[in-house]
Amino acid sequence: MGDNEDDYTGRLRVLGGLIVLIIAVLIGRAGYLQVYEGEYYASLADGNRIRIIPASAPRGTFYDRNGELLVTNRPGFTVSLLPLTAPISDDVKQRISDLVHVPVEEINEKIAAHNGFNPIRIKSDVTPDIVSIIEEQKDNYPGVVIEVQPIRDYIYKQQGAHTFGYVSEINDEELAKKKDEGYKSGDIIGKFGLEKVYDKELRGADGGEQVEVDVSGKPVAILGRKDPVPGDDLVLTIDKNLQLAAEKAVDEQLAQIHASAAAAVVMNPQTGEILAMVSRPAFDPNAFAHGISTKYWNQLNTNPFHPMDNKTITGEYPPGSTFKIVTGTAALTEGVVTPEEKILDTGHHWIIPKGNSEGEALGWINFREALAHSDNVYFYEMGNRLGIDRLEKYARMFGLGARTGIDLPYEADGLVANRRYKEKNFEDGEWYLSETFDAAIGQGFNLVTPLQAAMVMSQIAADGKRYKPHLVNRIVAPDGSTVKEFEPELLSKLDVPENVIKLVQDGLHDVTKYGTAASSFRGFNIDIAGKTGTAENSHGRDHGWFVAYGPFDNPNIVVAVIVEQGGFGSQSAVPIGRKILEAAFGVAQPQDEKADK
Amino acid sequence: MNKKYLKRLDFTLLIATVGILCMSLIIIGSATHINTPSDERYWYVQRQGLFALANIALAAFLMNFDYKMLQGYGNKLYIFNIVLLLAVMIFGHSALGAQRWIMLGPISIQPSEFSKLIMIISLATVLNDKVGKINDLHDLMPIALYVGVPFLLVLKQPDLGTSLVFMAIFFGMIFACGVNLKLLGGIFGAGIAMLPVLWHFLKDYQKMRIMVFMDPNVDPLGSGYHIIQSKIAIGSGMLFGKGLFAGTQSQLNFLPENHTDFIFAVVGEELGFVGVTFLLLLYLVVLWRGIQIAREASDTFGRLLAVGITSMLAFHVLVNVGMTMGIMPVTGIPLPLMSYGVSSLTTNIMSIAILMNIQLRKKQLSF
Repeated sequence: MGDNEDDYTGRLRVLGGLIVLIIAVLIGRAGYLQVYEGEYYASLADGNRIRIIPASAPRGTFYDRNGELLVTNRPGFTVSLLPLTAPISDDVKQRISDLVHVPVEEINEKIAAHNGFNPIRIKSDVTPDIVSIIEEQKDNYPGVVIEVQPIRDYIYKQQGAHTFGYVSEINDEELAKKKDEGYKSGDIIGKFGLEKVYDKELRGADGGEQVEVDVSGKPVAILGRKDPVPGDDLVLTIDKNLQLAAEKAVDEQLAQIHASAAAAVVMNPQTGEILAMVSRPAFDPNAFAHGISTKYWNQLNTNPFHPMDNKTITGEYPPGSTFKIVTGTAALTEGVVTPEEKILDTGHHWIIPKGNSEGEALGWINFREALAHSDNVYFYEMGNRLGIDRLEKYARMFGLGARTGIDLPYEADGLVANRRYKEKNFEDGEWYLSETFDAAIGQGFNLVTPLQAAMVMSQIAADGKRYKPHLVNRIVAPDGSTVKEFEPELLSKLDVPENVIKLVQDGLHDVTKYGTAASSFRGFNIDIAGKTGTAENSHGRDHGWFVAYGPFDNPNIVVAVIVEQGGFGSQSAVPIGRKILEAAFGVAQPQDEKADK
Repeated sequence: MNKKYLKRLDFTLLIATVGILCMSLIIIGSATHINTPSDERYWYVQRQGLFALANIALAAFLMNFDYKMLQGYGNKLYIFNIVLLLAVMIFGHSALGAQRWIMLGPISIQPSEFSKLIMIISLATVLNDKVGKINDLHDLMPIALYVGVPFLLVLKQPDLGTSLVFMAIFFGMIFACGVNLKLLGGIFGAGIAMLPVLWHFLKDYQKMRIMVFMDPNVDPLGSGYHIIQSKIAIGSGMLFGKGLFAGTQSQLNFLPENHTDFIFAVVGEELGFVGVTFLLLLYLVVLWRGIQIAREASDTFGRLLAVGITSMLAFHVLVNVGMTMGIMPVTGIPLPLMSYGVSSLTTNIMSIAILMNIQLRKKQLSF
C-alpha cells in the first residue's frame, strides 16, 4: 500500500496546486476588472442608470415698441421615451401608441433612428389629461417621460408672420453647421424672420434633470437639476396697432379689387425704425411650432403667390413712376433742367414716340407739375438729357441695387438699370436710348423691393439722410436689464443741394394736393407727400405702387405699398396707403376732417 | 457528539464555511429586498437562513455516524439517483428551457444538485478497490459507463452545467485513484477531438451561450446581456465597492439572477475587489482543507470522497465566478454556499459535513 500512498500524496499535491491556481486566476481577473478597468466599468454602470430629461428654455418673447406682447410661449408637454439598456417591451409600446395615437411602427422607427442619451420624442404638445395619465400610472409606462417644451405662440397668427418668422426642429444641415455653437439634435431653432436672425439671443440655455432609472426606465431618484435659462426678449420697432391696421387695410383692399398679393412697409424716416411690415398672402407661423401638417405645407407650397416669401424684402418689382423721384433729383442736381424750364408734352416724346399711359398731353409743364402729374414725356426728356450712366449713379446714391441691411434674412438686392448689366445678360449688349427712357420712368431693367421704395421716400422725407432700416429697438435679458440697444444708424446722405430736395418734396406734396393721388387724399387733415406708380408686368396686370410720407413739414412716417396685379397705383395702392396713414396719425374717418379748423 | 471528537473538529473549515454562509445571507438580502413586497422584504434571507441552520443541525447530528457507513449504501444510492433523475424527466417542472425541478409541497427541489453528491458517494464506493488498477480502456470503461448513465440523464434535462460537474468529479476522483496518466491524456486528447461532434448535440441556446462567451456583443440584448451587465457590476465596484445595498447594477435590476447564479457580481459591485478577494480566499481555505482532509483520510474511501467533494466545489467556484467575470461560459451552475437555493445549499452543507466527518476519523498519528 506504500506505493499507492506515495502516488496519492503526489497527485493530491497537484490537485492542491490546481486549486490555488484557480483562485489566483479568479482574483487576478477580478483585479483586472475592478482595479485596472474599474473606471471604465463605473462609467458604463452610470450610463445604465443615469438619464437626462432636458427642460427646454423658454424662447425670448417679442414685444412691440410700446411693450405690447406679440410673440410668446405657451406650456407644451411632449411624450418621450428614455433610451434604455434593455429593449422596451411591446406592451409598453402598444400602450403608448393607444394613448397618444401614434402607430407602433412609427414608434419603432423613432427608436431605431435615435442615438445618444436624450429622450426619444414620440409626440409633442399633448393634452394635460395625457400628461396626468402617464404621471399617475408610472408603472404602466416605464421609460416614458413627460418633457416640458414651451411651444411658440404667435398671438396674432398670420399678422406680422413674415417679420417674426417661425421656429421648427433643427434639420441635419443646420445641425452640421451649428454643432460648434452648442446646437444639438432635436433643438428648436428659428428658421425665418427675426426668429432666425436673433436665434442665438432668443434661445436661452436648456436645463434638465439628471435622473436615476431602473432597468425598465422607471425613474427612481433625481440626482440633480439645472434650471433652464430663458432667452432674451426683443423689443421691436413694430407698432402693434399700426401693424394690425396695415394688415387690415391690405386685406380689405385685396378683397375689394380681387387681387391676391401685396406688400406694405411703414417706417420712421428719421430713425430707420420699421413700424409695420405686411406681405400677402401670408402663413400661420404657429403651424410650424411642432411639426407642420403635410396638408398645410402643400397648400403653402402650391400657392402661386408664394405665401412664404416676405415680399417687402424679397419681392423685386419695377419701381414705375416712383422712380421719377430719383430721375428728378438727378436732373435738378446735374443742372440738366431748371425748376422753371417748361417742356412741351404733346402726348409723346419727339425723339422716340413714347408717351403717357393714357395718351393724354399736358402741354407746357415745369418740374413740379411734371412730378405731381407723373408726366412721362417730361421725365423721358430728363433721361435723355442725363443719360443712363448718371441715372445709375443717382439710383445707387439712393441705395438702390443693394440690400438695405435690414435685420431679416433673404433680402433681395433689386437692380439698377445700367450698361454692364445689359452687356452681361443680353446677346445684343448695346445700350439704346429707349432703354434710358424706360429707366427714367422706372420701367425696363430697374427692380426695387418695397422696402427699397420706402427707403427712397425716407431719404427725401429726411432731407437726404439714409438710416439703416431695423426691426429691433432693444434686446432685454430675462431679469429686465438691457442687453443691447439699437440706435439709429446713419448710412449716408444724398450728395445733392438742399434746394433740390426741397423741390422734390414740393412736387411730391402736390401729388396729394392736385396730382395723381389727390382724389384719395381730399380732406385728409395731415399734409402728405406721395408718389403713385404703375409697374409694367409682362405676366399679367400691372402692379400698383404708392409711396408717401407725412406730416409734410416734419415727417415721421413713410409708407410704401405695392399691390401685385392691382392695376394703376392710384386705384390699388393709394387706398391702402391712405388707411395706413390714417392709422399712423390717428386721423379717424375722412368725414371727420371738417372738425379740424 | 463525542467530546473526544469535538476537540478534533476542523474549526478552520467550519469558520470558513460559516463565513461564506454569512456573506451569502447578507448579499441575498441586498439583492432581493428591493423587489420583494415590504412585508416580506427578507423572505429570501429568512428562508435561506432557516435551511442553513436546519442543515447545520442535521450535519452535527450526522457527525455521530462514521462516514464509512456510506460505503454500504453506495449502489443503493446510485439506483436512487437514477430514479430521481428519471422522475425529473417525467414529473419535472420546467423553467428557462430546462426541466430541473420537482415540486415537493412548498419546496421545489432540484434533484440534479443532490445527484452530484450521491454520484461522489457511489463512485467512491466503486473506486474503493480500484486504486492503481485503472491502466487501460478496459479498466476504465465500466467506471465511465457507471458515471455515464446519470451524466446523460442530467444532460438530457438539459443541464449542461451539472453534467460538466459530473465530469469534473469523475476526472478528479480517477486522478486521485491513480489512473494511468497516459490513459488520462488520451481521453483528454480524444475529448478535444470530439468537440466539433459534441457541438451538434448542443441545444441552440447552449450554442448561443458558447458564442456569446467568445464575444458577448454578439447578442448584447439577449444572451450576451447577462455577461455584459455582470462585468459592468463587478468592474464598477472598483477597489472598495459601492457599499452594501448600494450597488446600482443590482439594486436597479440591470443585473439579472442577482441572488442566484450571479450573486458573485453583487459581491463584486457592493464590496469591491477587497470583498471579492476575501470571499475567494474563504473558498481557498475550504478547498485547501478539502485536499488536506483527503491526504489525512484514514481510508481510501474517505480519500476518494474528499477528493470528489473538493473537485465538485472547486469546479463550481471556477465556472460560476469565471462566468460572472466573462472568462467562463454561462452554464447556470450556482456558487456553492453563496447562491440562493435550497437544493444547492443542502448539498453543499452536507458535502462539507462529510469532509468534516472524514477529518474527525482521520489517521491517528502519535497518540
